[in-house]
Amino acid sequence: MRSIKNNHNLVAALQGAAVVLTAVGLLFLTSMLQYSRMREMVTRSSYRRAQDNIDRVEQDFVRVVELVESAVRNNIWSARALVPVPDSLWSITRGVVLDNPIVYGSAIALVENYNPSKSGRLFAPYAYRDGDTIRSAQLGTEEYNYLEHEWFKGALEAGDAGYWSEPYYDEGGGNRLMITYSVPVRDHTGKLAAVITADVAMNWVSDRLASVDDYPGALKMLISQSGNIMATSPPYESMYRKSILDLSRDMDKASAFDAVNQDILAGKEGSRRVHIQGEDYYIFYDRMNKTGWSMSISIPEDEIFSEIRHLNRRMLGLELLGLMLLLVILLYTIFNQRKLLAVQEKKGRIESELHVASGIQESMLPKTFPPFPSRHDVDIYATLVSAKEVGGDLYDFFIRDERLYFCIGDVSGKGVPASLVMSVTRSLFRTVAGHEKSPVRIVANMNQNLVEMNINDMFVTFFCGVLDLASGHLRYCNAGHNAPVILSADASVVLPVVPNLPLGVMPSMSFTEQETDLACGSGIFLYTDGLNEAEDQSNNQFGTERMMHELDHSLSANQQIERLEGAVRSFVGTAPQSDDLTMLYIRYLNDSPMEKKERHLILHNDIQQIPQLADFVETVGQLAGLSSSLTLSLNLALEEAVTNVILYAYPEGSDGLVDIEAIIHKDHLKFIISDSGKAFDPTAAPEVDITLDVEDRPIGGLGIFLVRNIMDSVQYERVDGKNILTMSKNLQ
Amino acid sequence: MEVKIIEKDNVLTAVLNGRLDTAVSPEVSAALQPLVDQADKTLVLDCKELSYISSSGLRIFLTVRKAAAAKGGKVIVKDINSEIRQVFMMTGFLNLFEIQES
Repeated sequence: MRSIKNNHNLVAALQGAAVVLTAVGLLFLTSMLQYSRMREMVTRSSYRRAQDNIDRVEQDFVRVVELVESAVRNNIWSARALVPVPDSLWSITRGVVLDNPIVYGSAIALVENYNPSKSGRLFAPYAYRDGDTIRSAQLGTEEYNYLEHEWFKGALEAGDAGYWSEPYYDEGGGNRLMITYSVPVRDHTGKLAAVITADVAMNWVSDRLASVDDYPGALKMLISQSGNIMATSPPYESMYRKSILDLSRDMDKASAFDAVNQDILAGKEGSRRVHIQGEDYYIFYDRMNKTGWSMSISIPEDEIFSEIRHLNRRMLGLELLGLMLLLVILLYTIFNQRKLLAVQEKKGRIESELHVASGIQESMLPKTFPPFPSRHDVDIYATLVSAKEVGGDLYDFFIRDERLYFCIGDVSGKGVPASLVMSVTRSLFRTVAGHEKSPVRIVANMNQNLVEMNINDMFVTFFCGVLDLASGHLRYCNAGHNAPVILSADASVVLPVVPNLPLGVMPSMSFTEQETDLACGSGIFLYTDGLNEAEDQSNNQFGTERMMHELDHSLSANQQIERLEGAVRSFVGTAPQSDDLTMLYIRYLNDSPMEKKERHLILHNDIQQIPQLADFVETVGQLAGLSSSLTLSLNLALEEAVTNVILYAYPEGSDGLVDIEAIIHKDHLKFIISDSGKAFDPTAAPEVDITLDVEDRPIGGLGIFLVRNIMDSVQYERVDGKNILTMSKNLQ
Repeated sequence: MEVKIIEKDNVLTAVLNGRLDTAVSPEVSAALQPLVDQADKTLVLDCKELSYISSSGLRIFLTVRKAAAAKGGKVIVKDINSEIRQVFMMTGFLNLFEIQES
C-alpha cells in the first residue's frame, strides 16, 4: 500500500518535472527565436537610423558645399576682372572669408608666371580667419609651391565644375586640416589665369560628425571619393588622410572589412557585420551625392544588441521566475494531493469499517423470512433501513416455550454512537428475555442495565411484547415508543399503551405491563418514527393517517410491509432519508387456540399494593367463572403468598418486583408467583397446631398455613436466581 | 376499612367494616388498641360488615383474644360471613372465639 502510494507520488513528481522541463525548453526556444527576430529588427532599425544619420549629414554637407561653391563661384567674375591687377585680388579673398562664416580661408592663386612683372613667378593672395579677425598672407613662396598642391592641380584638371580636394594638412596656408574647393579662373582673353579657392576647416566636419546622434560607441567616418579618411568621430587624427584600404591592411585580413572598404571605394551603400580585433561591429555605409564622399558608421554589436540582450535576459528571467512559481505550485499540488489521498484512504477505511459494522449490525437482527417456516400459527416480516451506514433502530424476536418474544426500539441520535447503543440494547434483550417471561420485567431489567452503563445522555424508546402462541394472549410493556397498531377484521386500532419513559433515562423506573388477546387473523404492527416522520422534499411528514390508510389485515406480513415501503417511497420521492425506518409486523394465525387464559400482575414490594392483587384475583375469578366464595379464598391464599414476598424477599428500603401470573385452564387454575429476592422456601415452614389453647397459640405462621389449606398443590423452585412459587387449585 | 369503637354498659364493641387485608392491618391494629387496653371487659368484634380477613387480621383478633385471656375479659365475635367462618374453621379460631349470630 505504502510503496504503491510512493510510486504514485513519484510518477506524479516525474510528470510534473517533465512538464516543467518541457516548458523550460519551449521557453528557451521561443526566447531564442524571439531574440533572433529582435536582432533582425534591431539590425534593420540600426541600419535605417544610420542611413538617416548619413542622409542628414549629407544634407548639411551639401548645404555647406553649395554655400562654399557659390561663395567661390560668385567671385569668379570679379577675379577674372581683377587678374590683371594682382594686388586688387586681396580684397576678393577677404570678401569671400568675411561673407561666408563657413569658409576658413580663401585664396586666388595665379598660374605660374601669369604676370611676372607685377607679381613674380608665384602669387597667391590668401585671407584666413584667426579668431575674430581676418588675416592675409601671400602663399606663393619658393617653400610653398602651390603649383604642386592638389587643390591647384585638381582645379585645373576639373575645369569649370570645380574641384574638392582631399583633406590635407595645410602648413603653408591655414596651418590646419582642411579641404578646399577650387575653380579655375580665365582672364578676358580666355587664357587660364588663376585658381580661386575656399577652404573649409575639417574640425567643422568633425564637429558635425560628432553631433550625429547614434550609439555612444559608434565610430563615424567620412571618406573621400578616393578612399581617404577625411574625418572621424571621435577624432582619430592619426587616421586622417590615410586610405581606408590602409586600414584594412593594418588590421587582420578580415574579408568582410575588406569588402566594406571595397564597397565604399566603389561608392556603394550597404551594411556588413565585421569582426575586428576580437569584437563584432556592424558597419553601415553610404555615398553622399554631390560631394562623392562616403560616410560609414561602425557600431559595436554589443551596443546594438545590449538593450535587447538585456530585455531578453529580463524576459527570460521573468519567465523562469514564472516557471519556478509553476513548479512550486505543482509541487504544492502534488503534496496536497498526497494529503488528500491519505485523507481519502482514511475515509475509505472508515467507510469499509462502517460497512463491516453495518453488516454485523444487520446480522444481529433476524432477517430470514419466513423465520419459522415450519410454524403456521405466526407470520412475521420486518425491515430496517438505516439512514446512515449504521443505525440506531432495532427489532428482534424469538420463540421460547411456545411464546414469541419480540421488541422494537429506536436509539436517540444517529450514526456510530447510536449503533453501539443499539447493539447493546439488542444483546440485553436477548439476554434478559432469555429467562424472563414478563415484558415489564424484561423492560425494567434492560432499563436498569442501560442506566448503569451511563449511555451518555442517549436513550432508547422500546416496546416489548410476549405473545403466547397457544392462546393468542399478548403481554406487553411500552417504554416511550410509538404505540403499535392492532390489525383485525374489524378495524385497525392503535394499541392502548401506558407511555412510560424510554430506557436509559431514569433508574428504578416503574414501567407498566399491559395485556390483550389477539384473535386468529389479527396482527400487531410495530414501527419506528422513521415511518410516520418520513419527509418529502417540502418537509411534509408521511404521518400516521397515511400509515393507517395503508394497513390491511388481509395482507400477509410480507405484502403489508412491502406495501408500506412502496407508499413511503413514492411519498418521499427524491428527498434523502433522514431517519432510520423500521417496521415489524406479526400476524397471529392460530385458528384453534387452546382453552387457556392468562392474566398477569406485577407488584412492587410495597404492602400498599395489596388491593391491586385483590382486583386481579377478582378478574381472574370472573374469567374462570368462579364463585365469589372461592375467589375470596384464592384471594386470601395469594395475599398470604405475595405478602410473604413483599415483606421478606427484598432488603428493607430497596425496590423489588413480584410477578404474579394466573393461568386459567378448563379444569384447574394455576398461580405462579416469582421474585428476584433472596432464596426463601415458604413451604418449608413448620406446620401450625390449630388445637392449641389461646395462651399457647403463636401469633404468626398462619399465612403459609392458609395457602397450603386453600390450594391443592404448592411448589417452590429456585431458578436463575428467582424464587418461583407455583400454586394450583382444581376446579372440578 | 373502617373501625368504630362503641362503649356501652361496660361492653366495648368494635364495628369492623370492609376488607381486613395486610395493607390495612397496621391501622386496624392501632384502632383496636382500646380493646387490648380494657381486656378485662366484655369485648365485641362486630363483623357484620367485614367482608374479608387475611392472616394479618387473624393476628389482631388473636392479640385481642390473648389480652382478654390474660386480664379475665371476654371476646365475642359477632356475625361473621361464611367465607370468614371457613377461615376460622381452617385455622382453629372457631375453638378460640365465642361466635355469635344476631
